[in-house]
Amino acid sequence: MDQPIIRLCLIIGSLITAGFILRRVRLAKVQIEDTIFWLAFSLILLVLAIFPGIAYWASTLLGFISPINFVYILIIFLLLAKQFFMSIRISQMDSKLRILAERIALNEEKVERDKLDL
Amino acid sequence: MSKLLIVIPAHNEEANIARVVEDLTAHYPQYDYVVVNDGSRDKTAAICRARGYRLIDLPVNLGLAGAFQTGLRYAAENGYDCAMQLDADGQHKPEYIATMLAELEDGADIVIGSRFLTVKKPKSLRMLGSYIISWSIRLTTGRAICDPTSGMRMFNRNMLTEFAQNLNYGPEPDTISYLIKNGATVKECQVEMGERTAGQSYLNLINSIKYMVQMSISILLIQWFRKRDTETPYPERSL
Repeated sequence: MDQPIIRLCLIIGSLITAGFILRRVRLAKVQIEDTIFWLAFSLILLVLAIFPGIAYWASTLLGFISPINFVYILIIFLLLAKQFFMSIRISQMDSKLRILAERIALNEEKVERDKLDL
Repeated sequence: MSKLLIVIPAHNEEANIARVVEDLTAHYPQYDYVVVNDGSRDKTAAICRARGYRLIDLPVNLGLAGAFQTGLRYAAENGYDCAMQLDADGQHKPEYIATMLAELEDGADIVIGSRFLTVKKPKSLRMLGSYIISWSIRLTTGRAICDPTSGMRMFNRNMLTEFAQNLNYGPEPDTISYLIKNGATVKECQVEMGERTAGQSYLNLINSIKYMVQMSISILLIQWFRKRDTETPYPERSL
């Protein structure tokens, strides 16, 4: 983590993430509640890059050989957690979509049946 | 007098909905109302149908923002001059509608039924969130909104069409702060609110904290980046 290149990469990655997501907000292409995770994520990357002491302290505490390993594990953990919650949300959206499609089809059938009865 | 639509979003409110709507139809028949059933799992929709209430029945649960937006779209498409939210749990008292409507006709875009305009806000843990949001709005807009979390809000025609067609226009304090920043006139009106008498509130401790964090980040940070698009008027787009 002494390597300035890695720290620079983290800073750039963090700024790109924040910039991209805020641009989507500006264009009204994303819901605000979905941006919070990415803003927090980019903040964490930024803090880790600016204060490498945190990674050193945590890697000694957890027994990692290199502090960068702590950075990797943290990013993997955050993305896995996000993936988990996204899975749940997709599943819920799936079931909602199914209910909606069924509703529309049933309504359509009702309309057509009424027409035939006339 | 302006044509007002009262939107009553209802999610699992079988214990309260009849009382709220009966009160409205018995004492305030001059106002139109519509119940938006937000995919309730209890008998809310059945009660509304059996008693002949005007009902929009959402087939899936959309959350408060979606349910309220449905009501506003209904208002926009049926030519109402203004619309307001009235909670189905009976906390919002319809006797204050007339004063709010008068304020709106006096030239406001949004009128908030505020509990703490003339009454001091209690310094309790429950009100901590309200304090933080008030403070955030004051910091970012310079305007004092005494009761930003009050759900009793009334919107004029321009606002309701804007709310009806756009993303990120939930009926929440961050939208209010965003609109103030973009030049909307927001007024408050002193009201009294009752306590929920039956049923479950959505806001438990965890949800309250989540809501607070989200609102604070949204008001303090994200709203700065939004761009207001009022280019295409609603009727041309969809009617």
